[in-house]
This record gives sequence, C-alpha cells and structure tokens, in this order.
Amino acid sequence: MLKVNSASLVYQDQGRDLFACREVSLEVRENEFLGILGPSGSGKSSLLYLMSGLKTPSSGQITFDGKPLSGMDDASRANLRLKEFGFVFQQPYLLGYLSAIENVLVAQPSGGTIESATDLLTSLGLANKLHRLPHELSGGERQRVCVARALMGNPRIIFADEPTASLDHKNGVAVVNLLNDLRGKGALVMVTHDPTMLERADRIVRLVDGHISEPDSN
Amino acid sequence: MSVRSVDPPAAKTSTGRRVLTRPLAATTYLLRNAGKSIPLTAVIVLAVMLVAGIISMINSIPLSIRVIYNYSREFTGITPRGDAAKTQPILDEIKKKSPISIERIIVCRTTATVVQSIVGKWPFYIAGLEQNDLQYYLDRQGSKSLEGRLPAAGKPEAVISRPVAQNLGLKLGSELLGPEKDDGFSPNSVKVVGIADTERWVMLTSIEYLQDFHFPPIDIGILCAPTPAEQSKLDLWAEKYFKGRPVAVLAYHQVEKDTNDMFATLYQILNVVIGTLVLVITTMMGMLMNIYQSQRLVEFGLLQALGYTKKQLLSRVVIETVFVVVFGWLLGLVAAYGLLNVAKRTLMDPKAFALNVLDPVAYAYSIPLPIAILIVAIATVVLRFRKFDPIGVVERRIV
Repeated sequence: MLKVNSASLVYQDQGRDLFACREVSLEVRENEFLGILGPSGSGKSSLLYLMSGLKTPSSGQITFDGKPLSGMDDASRANLRLKEFGFVFQQPYLLGYLSAIENVLVAQPSGGTIESATDLLTSLGLANKLHRLPHELSGGERQRVCVARALMGNPRIIFADEPTASLDHKNGVAVVNLLNDLRGKGALVMVTHDPTMLERADRIVRLVDGHISEPDSN
Repeated sequence: MSVRSVDPPAAKTSTGRRVLTRPLAATTYLLRNAGKSIPLTAVIVLAVMLVAGIISMINSIPLSIRVIYNYSREFTGITPRGDAAKTQPILDEIKKKSPISIERIIVCRTTATVVQSIVGKWPFYIAGLEQNDLQYYLDRQGSKSLEGRLPAAGKPEAVISRPVAQNLGLKLGSELLGPEKDDGFSPNSVKVVGIADTERWVMLTSIEYLQDFHFPPIDIGILCAPTPAEQSKLDLWAEKYFKGRPVAVLAYHQVEKDTNDMFATLYQILNVVIGTLVLVITTMMGMLMNIYQSQRLVEFGLLQALGYTKKQLLSRVVIETVFVVVFGWLLGLVAAYGLLNVAKRTLMDPKAFALNVLDPVAYAYSIPLPIAILIVAIATVVLRFRKFDPIGVVERRIV
C-alpha cells in the first residue's frame, strides 16, 4: 500500500549535511500495526513525516498505491492526507474554540456525520464530554479526542507520532489500545521510543541515527 | 470546500445539543472568539465614525455658507458702482435688453448685520423693500406663513425668517438693529414685528427706513426671473452684458465659487489629515492582525498537517477578515450617523447651523479605510503563510 524506497532526508547545518533519515526502505501493508521504535533523535518522526507526505525526501521515493508522493503537487498531497490518512501527534492539539465533537468533525471537511463522531467519542469513553471545550478536558481526554479525529472517516493509514508522549503510562497504553482496537481496516503506523507501547504491533522496525538497524521483527 | 463556507451549518446530537457540522466555516472563529473579533471590529467602527464625523462637521462650514446665502438663488442683484443715480437707468436698460423674461424688478436698499456660524460671525444683509414687494419677496423665499406682520413703511421694524430668529435668539418684539449694537447699528431700535416660516435666511425692513437712516445711499436692483433655470440664465447674461462697465452683478453661483475657492486649501489639508489617519489606523490594524494570526499558528499548522491546503486556510482567513472589516465599516457608518444626529440636535439645531447627517462625501471618505485595512491584513497573513511550516507546529518548535 505505502512503500518507502531508499528514502533519505538531509538537512543543512552550517554547510554540513545532517541525515535525519538515511536510505530507509520499508512497506506499510493493509490493516497492519507497524511500530517504528527508536531513541530520541533517531529520525522516527522525520520518517513519519516523509511517509505521510508532510515532508519530501531529499532522495529516494515514497509511493502510495503505486503513485509517488513527490510527483504530486501540494494540494494533491494535502488531499491525500485529509482523505486517506489520519494523524495523532505527540501533543493533543485541538482547536480551542471547538467542542470535542466539532474537533472530530474537522477531519471530515465535506461534512462528517455527527453520528459517526458521536460513536467514536463514545467508544473512546467520552460520551458525556462531547460538547466540552478542550480546556475543559484532561490531557488524556484531549488525546482521545485526537484519536477520534484520526479515526474519523476510516482512513487507510493512521500515523501516530509518539501519541503517548504527553500521557502517563497507563493512559498511554489505553490510547494505543484504543487506536489499535478502533482502526478497523486501516493500517496503524506508530513511532515511539517506548517498546511497551508496541506490544500489540504486527511488526516493529528499529531506527538508529536515521537507519533501520534491525529487520522486521515479524 | 467547507473550510471556506461562510455560514456554519448546525445539527443536533442525540443529547439535543447543537453541533456545527462544518466547524471551520468562516464565521465560527469570529463568533466563538468574541474577545478578539470585537476589538478588531471596534477599532474599525471608531475609525469610520471618526472620519465620517470629521468630514461631516468640516463640510457643515461651506454648507452653512450655502444655506445662509441661499436666498440669493431667487434673484440677480444689480448695483451701480460710484454713481447712485445710475440704478434706475441700468434697470431700464435691462428691461429693454434682457433676452430672458423678468417676472419682477424690485428696488431695494441694504444694510449689514451679522449672523452666528460655527466659525464665528458672518455678515448678513438686511434688505429694505417697498411695501408691495415685501410679501412677494417672502413668498419667493418659500414662506408658508407669517407670525406677526410685515414692517410698516418708514418705521424701525423688521421681518425675519425662522432660522434667523433661531440663530440670533430673536422673537417678536426683540431688537434686530439698534444704536448700542456694534454688529448691527441703526440710530433707532429696529424691532422684530414678523417671523416668516421658511427655511431660507431672510431679514427685511422697509426701504423708506433705510433711505432715511442708513448709508450708503445706493439702491440695488433685484431681478426676479419666473423659474430657477431662467434665473441662472439671467445671472449669466447680466454678468456678460455688464462686463467692463461700472456695474456690480450679484449672483448665487458666485457664492458657490467663492465658497469652493475659500475651502480648497482646507480640503487639501483635510485630505492629508485623513490620509494620515487611514495610514495610522491601517498600520495599527495590521499589527493587531499580525498578533492575532500569530496566536493561531498552532491552528493553522495543525489543519495543514491534517490535510488542509494553504490556499484553503488563507481563503478562510480572508473571508473572516472581510467579515470583520465590512461589518466594522457598516457599523461605523451607523455609529457616525448616530453621532452626527446627536451633534446636530444638541450643537447645531439650537443655532440653526447646517449639518448634513447623511453627507455622502463624508461617508465616501471612510471607504479607503476598510479597503486599506483589508489589503494590509491580507498581506500580513499571506506573508505569514509563505514561510509557514506545519511541521514546526506539530513538533512543538513554534508553539
């Protein structure tokens, strides 16, 4: 479904090349839970941004359903992110002036159904907090709203960038389990530095200094 | 796209609460962030009110001149220069030569007094007429009725119109001219015996009284044409006919021309002041917009990361800005209208000062304000979006 072929991401730092990712190759398969594990600064997030089309590789190629992301213009890549991908970021970013349910509906610009947003939030244990504004929710609840937003519209791939970083371990595990349980037929790609969060992953790749250091575990 | 939608459609959840099905509609942010949208709107409202108010008040000065001397629309004045005996021969010559029909020729004497204006005292002429011309003159000035009576021949009596009475605080029995009055001297106390109900500014007495007690001893011919159009033609003909001769022709369009010339420099200064005001307010609004948009970087970064394009987000901000600016401008016009009405009632009307609360020029002067604010606000946002990287937001580099 999504293939990364020898993708590198290079930054310039005072005339020197700094590799965030170096010739990474991997594939995201239908319906799988792919974990990307690595320490801080290993290039996990950069790889996620490359895979989701938020960044363009300096070299190599990323394809989705056989179409290279680099061949798409900005609008097409944005449209792909909106319709085919879901995102959960490290911080539970929500729009402060929208209620929980309205924040979930943001992921469906053509007018998502209130029923599906309500169902998702109910499944995530927020049935009685649909109309709360973000500042009226706890950190864990905010991240669960972000999970609902990522799941809205049944995306084919959900990208989760350290979604447990701002949560305690218990809440973190709960969020990961909910993501995994509610993703339906969508694939889940999650980067983390905490191996305990990937206990239910189908495959895990390890990144060190921008390289994949170990082959797939499964 | 829903992100550009203006009106946020809403539905209800199973709990019956209202939810916006398209939460990124342009009005959502403005309505739910009143703490930000109200100050922005208020600045525009105040600026528009200020500009329209200043222009209206300044325009009231030339408007007052036109209103006070509007009576001269009704006739062409003719007076000889240097030879008081020439009035009648000139009027006889006009009767023979004028290509425009003349309804009536009135012979009058004048003396000067003053009326009050918002910029001080202005000269005003009291016309002394023969008995059979007094009512005709008042009728011609649109008088609907007369409180009191007309001045008797040779008596120190005067008839004035309602605005004059209001302006000078006169009523029946009040003294219009008198031996103690520097601005309106007459050896006798000239009392108001009649107040005519007309919008025009009029002061009349009997010609016999002015002939007996006032100088200079020069009669003026007042030529009255049947219609306003013919009056204008008569003005132009008389000016052309007597050009180069010792005859003064007095016509209303001279008042217009003199007024325009008098205020040309003032309006140039006013343009600079308004231009500076627009610049200051626009800069201030630009800075405010910049601050507010900076506070929304997380929102823009998040939405862009989720899949909204820069163009969509920019369109949304532009529509929001258009809403604020247009709403602020319209509200500013309403506020200006209200303010001018209050000023008219409390400051102007008691003295019969002219003020047009619906002065189109004043409201037109406020148009550059929303346009300039819109341009600066949009330019500010476009510049912000040009170098904007959503990764910086989701990685918390620019939160």
